[in-house]
Amino acid sequence: MNYLRWIGAFLLLAGLPFFLGSYYNDVYRKMLLWVTLALGYNFLFGIGGQVSFSHFAFYGVGAYSIVIFLIQLQLPLPLAILLGIALCVLVALAVAIPSTRLEGFYLALATLALAQLFVVVLNEGGAVTGGTGGLANYRLPEVFGMRIVGPWYTAVIVILLLITFFILLRLDRSWFGRACRAVRDNPEAAAAMGVDVARTKVIAFTLTSALAGVAGMVYAFVDNTVNPPIFGLENAFLILFMVIVGGAGRHAGAVIGAVLLFLLPFVLSPLVGHHHVLVFGLLVLGAILAAPKGLIGFYDSIRKNF
Amino acid sequence: MKDTILQVKALSKRFGGLLAVSQLDFEVREGEILGMIGPNGAGKSTTFNVIAGAYAADAGEVSFSGEPILGRAPHQIAMRGIMRTFQHNRPFAGMPVIDNVMVGAHTRFKAGLLSVLFGNAFQEETEKRKKAESLVDFVGLGELRDADVATLSFGQGRLLEIARALAGEPRLILLDEPAAGLTPDELARLAHIIRGIAARGIAVLLIEHDMHFLLPLAHRVVVLNFGAKIADGLPAEIRADPAVMDAYLGSHAAAH
Repeated sequence: MNYLRWIGAFLLLAGLPFFLGSYYNDVYRKMLLWVTLALGYNFLFGIGGQVSFSHFAFYGVGAYSIVIFLIQLQLPLPLAILLGIALCVLVALAVAIPSTRLEGFYLALATLALAQLFVVVLNEGGAVTGGTGGLANYRLPEVFGMRIVGPWYTAVIVILLLITFFILLRLDRSWFGRACRAVRDNPEAAAAMGVDVARTKVIAFTLTSALAGVAGMVYAFVDNTVNPPIFGLENAFLILFMVIVGGAGRHAGAVIGAVLLFLLPFVLSPLVGHHHVLVFGLLVLGAILAAPKGLIGFYDSIRKNF
Repeated sequence: MKDTILQVKALSKRFGGLLAVSQLDFEVREGEILGMIGPNGAGKSTTFNVIAGAYAADAGEVSFSGEPILGRAPHQIAMRGIMRTFQHNRPFAGMPVIDNVMVGAHTRFKAGLLSVLFGNAFQEETEKRKKAESLVDFVGLGELRDADVATLSFGQGRLLEIARALAGEPRLILLDEPAAGLTPDELARLAHIIRGIAARGIAVLLIEHDMHFLLPLAHRVVVLNFGAKIADGLPAEIRADPAVMDAYLGSHAAAH
């Protein structure tokens, strides 16, 4: 049965952290969050063909909004989550509606501006955002009288990952996913087939941005601190590299790219010290040149030939 | 006589100083194959693009099933039951043949996004896939159903364009020079497919500059030259029309 697979995946992924120490549990959680983000960004960029640099900023919008609504304003958790999603949707619509009517390049510019603006707002936000120091020293309140900590919170992240993947998979295997690919491949032909190109782009952008926001909400209680440097442009580009290196347009590619590029610095920095950023850049460049269809595309071509 | 499905009245389209289409009148009737011929630059493709919503007209009226459609976006026109092919193949390169055809059925899906996410849109997907498969078979690409579109020959790409347009369950299909660049074998197969489309009750507006392909196929023919209509009638009448011979066939007919 199909749902047994999802339960199996949950048990496997959520069971693992019970055997990890607290350091590796932390690394594991962040890896799962990157995989979640990369899956969403893959839908937007790889399947929808929209080059956006704001995906990580929406992660930040989600993270900050849950802390502000839940901790600062003391709203109940479900309401705080809904308000956070609503905020992501509003910001996404405000960016997507004007920019998707223009050519793709303008979406890249508008989202780059949004990502920059977001960090400025965080720095200048006074008591609401905590300014340059961000917000810290908060904890996830008890849910149904339970404190969800350690590996149990990792299980929450696994649920987030699986729900995100489920939603994206359903979308991808429907008329909507095909419409996204059609718009990416040939917008004029897509329109002639009855696809509302602008609407398709706006929906894909808003949906994936909201998913990034929800991931951000979960992230807010991983380190129990949110601050501006985390949501800078560096990570916006990293997510793009993850999807390209893994194989744009393929869910498996996004997973592989996210896992590899997230873990790579952990392997590199003991080996090459603080040069690891340079080596990282060269390895990414090499991977893109050697496997333009990503590592998953490379794997496919090997399997075909042997 | 059958009912008119597409009515074009006094249609004009200008590109800068060039009057590409001038005061054009014609109609397409239910289930017929209407051929539109004329030399290169006669305004055939422009007319076609105006009907499909890709270009805005400068003057005139176009109505489909009695409803004015000028000024509507291409996707709105597709939704109303007019599907098109492109003169230069425009496949969705990142998808296999069957998925390309499935995109053609886009407007015929009833499931909303919520039903896609949480409901049972799966049944409709299966049902539409079956229909798309039968269309792929209909145009003779059955063995290439799951092939990457990049592996198709030019002629196969042409047939894919037709299958994709048919998937939208059109009442009128616009074919823009489908015969251009095809081998004689492929031409015969294409003629057979076009007759098959009309036999399904779908009206066909067929643009062509190859008379030898078009005249035996079309039920009626409209002849354009320099953006204006110079003749309109049955294929036999067109063959015998001196104005047509002069403007279009002249040198061609003399050479044979």
